[in-house]
Amino acid sequence: MTFTKKDVRNFLSSYKIIALVIVIAIIWTFFGFMTYDADLGGSQFLTARNFSNLLRQMAITGMLASAMVFVIVAGEIDLSVGSLLGFLGGVAAILDVIYHWPLFGTIAVVILLGIAMGLLVGWLTAYQGIPSFIVTLGGMLVFRGAVLGATGGITVAPVSEGMKVIGQGYIPGTMGNLIAAALFVLLVVMAFRTRAGRQKHALPVASMPTEIAKLVAIGVVILGFVLTLNSYQGVPVPVLILLVILGVFTVIGNQTVFGRRIYAVGSNMEATRLSGVNVNLVKLMVFGLMGLMCAFAGLTTTARLAAGTPSAGFGGELDAIASCFIGGTSMRGGIGSVVGALVGAVIMASLDNGMSMLGVDTFWQQIVKGIILVLAVWMDIVSSGNQRA
Amino acid sequence: MSEYLLEMYDITKEFSGVKAIDGIHLQVRAGECVGLCGENGAGKSTMMKVLSAVYPFGTWTGSILWEGKPLEARSIRETEEAGIVIIHQELMMVPHLSVAENIFLGSELTNGAGFMDYEAMNARATELMKQLKMPDINVALPVLSYSGGKQQLIEIAKALNKNAKLLILDEPTSALTASETATLLELVKEFKARGMACVYISHKLDEVAEIADTVTIIRDGTHVATRPMAELDTNSIITMMVGREMKNLFPREDHDIGEVIFEARNITCWGTTNTERKVVDDVSFQLRRGEILGVAGLVGAGRTELASKLFGCWPGDHQGQIFLEGKEITVHSPADAVRQGICMVPEDRKRQGIVPLMGVGYNITMSVLGRYTKNHLIDAEAELAAIQHEILRMKIKTAHPMLPIASLSGGNQQKAVVGKMLLPEPKVLILDEPTRGIDVGAKYEIYKLIFELAKQGVAVLMISSELPEVLGISDRVLVMGEGHLRGDFPNNGLSQEQILTAAIGKADKAAA
Repeated sequence: MTFTKKDVRNFLSSYKIIALVIVIAIIWTFFGFMTYDADLGGSQFLTARNFSNLLRQMAITGMLASAMVFVIVAGEIDLSVGSLLGFLGGVAAILDVIYHWPLFGTIAVVILLGIAMGLLVGWLTAYQGIPSFIVTLGGMLVFRGAVLGATGGITVAPVSEGMKVIGQGYIPGTMGNLIAAALFVLLVVMAFRTRAGRQKHALPVASMPTEIAKLVAIGVVILGFVLTLNSYQGVPVPVLILLVILGVFTVIGNQTVFGRRIYAVGSNMEATRLSGVNVNLVKLMVFGLMGLMCAFAGLTTTARLAAGTPSAGFGGELDAIASCFIGGTSMRGGIGSVVGALVGAVIMASLDNGMSMLGVDTFWQQIVKGIILVLAVWMDIVSSGNQRA
Repeated sequence: MSEYLLEMYDITKEFSGVKAIDGIHLQVRAGECVGLCGENGAGKSTMMKVLSAVYPFGTWTGSILWEGKPLEARSIRETEEAGIVIIHQELMMVPHLSVAENIFLGSELTNGAGFMDYEAMNARATELMKQLKMPDINVALPVLSYSGGKQQLIEIAKALNKNAKLLILDEPTSALTASETATLLELVKEFKARGMACVYISHKLDEVAEIADTVTIIRDGTHVATRPMAELDTNSIITMMVGREMKNLFPREDHDIGEVIFEARNITCWGTTNTERKVVDDVSFQLRRGEILGVAGLVGAGRTELASKLFGCWPGDHQGQIFLEGKEITVHSPADAVRQGICMVPEDRKRQGIVPLMGVGYNITMSVLGRYTKNHLIDAEAELAAIQHEILRMKIKTAHPMLPIASLSGGNQQKAVVGKMLLPEPKVLILDEPTRGIDVGAKYEIYKLIFELAKQGVAVLMISSELPEVLGISDRVLVMGEGHLRGDFPNNGLSQEQILTAAIGKADKAAA
């Protein structure tokens, strides 16, 4: 059997995630090779410690990207998330450091504030008809100004020990193993239930060996993931939070009425509205969710730095948006997945991490990341055979 | 030299095997105005697109002679250079550019250095405005500062500036007020006196009667007659426009008609582009349980606008009361309407009906997805069962329920859209052109479904531009024209001529 260009194209468009995983493998091999140092006993990039660092680095971008996917799928954009993250992180630091609020109080207030700000942006966009690009461009300035005002332009430190755990803690090895085992069992059960459901309604299903091979592959990935992290210090807390978000958001996207409507609104808003769906409410909720994720990301940032800084989250919106597009989200709305966006975030974080290890100048790092973004979307367009996507 | 300026012989144009026009001919002398008449979909616009090379030479068969010589134009630019200028039904203006800039769009005047020569353009534009008896227009102001009627005349100025010898006006007055229409007709007469030829396409036969010297009538893509206007009147034109036999395409079934379930009172809607113009003007009607009410009218009569208002999605200003089962209801949005039992299948399937990136099944359950949930999560089994039930009921031909809806044929897409609007179990179902652009088989199935619904007691309001369909399906027929309700007829020996006469507005006022 010979592969034609069309076969490759079909394969890549139906298994976008696999294509992205191949890209990650290439990037990791490259950096692994480049950082090989015989004196230090091997590659410096491909170590459990660096893997752990890399994941912690991408956790914050990943949180933003998880909700940004929904914003973009709904046909909107949010440029204010980096600044909102900074503002909410600053508020968390002030409550914690200056007012010595209990941790739960701080978290609750920051989360509510995040949701409120997200809803405000959503209300202006959906109900007042101001394009989200404009609202959030304004929000970007307003929130950055607010954090400068609130912190007085200086770093607020040091945060309490409890707070630090959110950003710097690790899950003990045994617990990590248990969670991984539970997750695997859950995935297996779900896969077979979906399969049975599809068969019952005479929908096409993959053959049994393919199904099992898929599950085994997933099992190997989970096992490798946990064992690698456990060989360092365990699964970092922010990474666990991100994985929970990934799970919850994937369920929201695929299995709730709200999720279905996000995709419908992005694919054809007029038809969705005429079907009796309150499209404004859908958009409002999507921005609310984005605000919630800004709160998570803000808390994690402050905890990780052990301080509230006025520049926290600077440029975070661009990383989040780039992750979504690298992960196959369509500019025009209607298409995109949380998994894809997170894989996109891993690609971005790997480039950052690898180039820093090689001592590449910051300016080169930015140039390379910019090129990779354009390249990824170009590949997506070529592989889907749709030159105007 | 030929007697005619333009001669078109035996023009045939096919769209994927279906002949839109078949052997039509048309001749125009210099200084003459030819009225082109036909029902919706008779092929008038197709004919004009062939002439103006929107469909380039080679994509149709037949021959065109221009000033006695064959014309084989491959682009609109070539026909415009020859002197054929078409003014479309929808205005083709760039609203934020000035009047003069619009007039010179694509043929801008420049000075030696390559910059826009505004002085020359404004001077020429002002002169054109004087010719069009609109000296008070400031050509440096953006086009959007003028009303729809003035914009139409500015469009004509653009044509004059291209030295048009033949002006094609496609429904030029559909968005104009009465006085604006009068101005336009005066101008056309003046052009004729100056030797310019004109093809005038309009449903408003009194306008055609006023300015046309010759009338060509087409029907279902074929040529019916070409006669001097002097030998015709609006009634004889209507007879020739319709003139077809009713074929038995309609699976009529008996159904009981019950009490009044829905009532619209004094519905008025204002336009969105020309906000002064009433697109629906004080329309009231009642609808009974199990009744199929057809709404006939020509393009631009205000039928879709009326339906949008009833479904809560008319974007312009509007007023009027809606009663459902005796109680007055408010409908601010389609969500309100669906919740209260009013559903609508919109006119434009591609833009308003389907969600193209989603599967057929997900399109069908869109309105009532909340029904198939367990603990806030979608119960995929229950949803699939409902989808499959609908696919069977609607006879949607699809390989499997999750195939993207965009890959289905138009007829099957339409069946899915109708299915979507049946799941909420409406008391009143509004169908706006439910069979537009779908094949005969799918049409038949949709007709059967309409009767099935009527039997179950659903009140159906069906807007259709196909008169045989209106007559074949409806229990009662409303006729609209220029925003007004022009007639409310029981479908009892009703003829297409009666409907068209009412729609065109020449009806004896007793019927209205």
